[in-house]
Amino acid sequence: MREDIIQYFRNIKYAVTSVPKGMMVTLKNMFREPTTIQYPDRIPQKIEDTLPLNYRGHLEVEKEICTGCLLCEKFCPIDCIRIDVHKEETGRVLHSFKIDMAKCMYCGLCVPPCPTDAIRFTRKFEGSTYDIKSLLFEFIDTPTPVYKPNRDKDKKEEA
Amino acid sequence: MYELEKNNDNTMTLNMGPHHPSTHGVLRFILEMDGEIILSVKPDVGYLHRSIEKIGERVTYPAFMPYTDRVDYVAAANCNVGYALAVEKLMGIETPERAQYLRVIVSELNRIISHLLMTGVLAMDLGAYTPFLHAVREREKINDIFEILCGARLTYNLATIGGMPFDIKETTIRKCLEILEGLKKFLKEFDDLVTNNAIFISRLANIGVIDKETAKAFMLSGPNLRAAGAHWDLRKNETYFLYDRFKFDIAVGSGKAGTLGDSYDRFSVRMKEIETSISILEQAFKSLPSGEVQAKLPKTLKPPKGEVYVRTESARGELGYYIISDGTAKASRIKIRTGSFAAISILDKIGRGLMLSDLVAFMASLDLIAPEIDR
Repeated sequence: MREDIIQYFRNIKYAVTSVPKGMMVTLKNMFREPTTIQYPDRIPQKIEDTLPLNYRGHLEVEKEICTGCLLCEKFCPIDCIRIDVHKEETGRVLHSFKIDMAKCMYCGLCVPPCPTDAIRFTRKFEGSTYDIKSLLFEFIDTPTPVYKPNRDKDKKEEA
Repeated sequence: MYELEKNNDNTMTLNMGPHHPSTHGVLRFILEMDGEIILSVKPDVGYLHRSIEKIGERVTYPAFMPYTDRVDYVAAANCNVGYALAVEKLMGIETPERAQYLRVIVSELNRIISHLLMTGVLAMDLGAYTPFLHAVREREKINDIFEILCGARLTYNLATIGGMPFDIKETTIRKCLEILEGLKKFLKEFDDLVTNNAIFISRLANIGVIDKETAKAFMLSGPNLRAAGAHWDLRKNETYFLYDRFKFDIAVGSGKAGTLGDSYDRFSVRMKEIETSISILEQAFKSLPSGEVQAKLPKTLKPPKGEVYVRTESARGELGYYIISDGTAKASRIKIRTGSFAAISILDKIGRGLMLSDLVAFMASLDLIAPEIDR
């Protein structure tokens, strides 16, 4: 009985001392600089510039150096890349290179297989839009012949 | 599907979820209540079922890697490296030493992230919003490290079969060690804020006591099992990824606030595991070997006919991949065993007799993640 009473007061003492301890932590944090930023209007510099270079944002394609090998299309697990390559008299010609960024899961499996680094990630991440169709990116406006890497020339340049 | 038997006229059926802030995702419970006392808990899972296992039969082995992110998005790196290890074992690939060290580093960093979120959310479920913000602030710093390493903040997709697609730089290691130093200070601050708080202790002590036998019977694993007093950690008991080279102790529940295996034990085991992870990371950074990070592989991966089961210690318990290969480029069957699914089965057994507000605390202490339950 007596121990119960002692324990009762001990509990009160513990509660009275431990709660202000936590409050002190809150108080200490009240006077430090905030760790958050006020996105999107009050920021010192563009968020894209603060991101690391290998950030996986929206995909982009440089049509001039695309070889039309279709490796990225093959490696994509959800088929969000669609490429149209036709064989014409002058050789293979790229007619369309579509990437559905609304479908894309930014896994990055399409980037490493590319032999010429034509498909790569940008640091763009702001994709909200009123119309989901505007996230279907077309990278080829006029039919472009595929890039043929000149192996000898490349070797010379490296040397 | 669920037909509740009414014991008497005074009971009430209460729907908790699927959109309830304390169910940690889309999860529904059908509770039978007598006043504020719970008579039975029936979890209704399946709201987040995305048929990941079926997708695994449709895509090639490397293309399944981004889907493993979505098994448990809070500890995605653990799921990635676990799957990579399973396929490597199936194919008999030797992973380079440096890649294995990198895997240890990312899994331990991810374990810290996951446990920080869990401890913050547990405090938030009990009504204290401030600790959650403090925990998330520290979590963001480690997220930045992941962003530098692999380019993503949540669904990392940071492992390839046979190695790692990136290498860690000296500057990143230095930044990492700096953050870990800050994290140690933060943990002391967090102890003052939450762990030693009298209200917090009395909300968790003696609530939802799971003893060792019950935990084993319900196949609990990971921190939930260790909190019940079992010395079982796959990192030690079934070593993978060169974990045997690091010195660390298994965090086990002590029952210092009340009974062994209560909610407070599950919380404090995770706090201890953050410290363990920090010490493993410091050892790993010190002894990081140089060399390749990617083993040489054929262009199309075609594992031989056979099956494999590989289990790794994820943040939420045992994460197992069971893969059956029929010799083609696509798996014949992929089964994923997760810790949360085992943990949710114990809710009805332990939840009976609890008060509704205590069920929330108990559930948060089990660290359930809805997408890991459904897959």
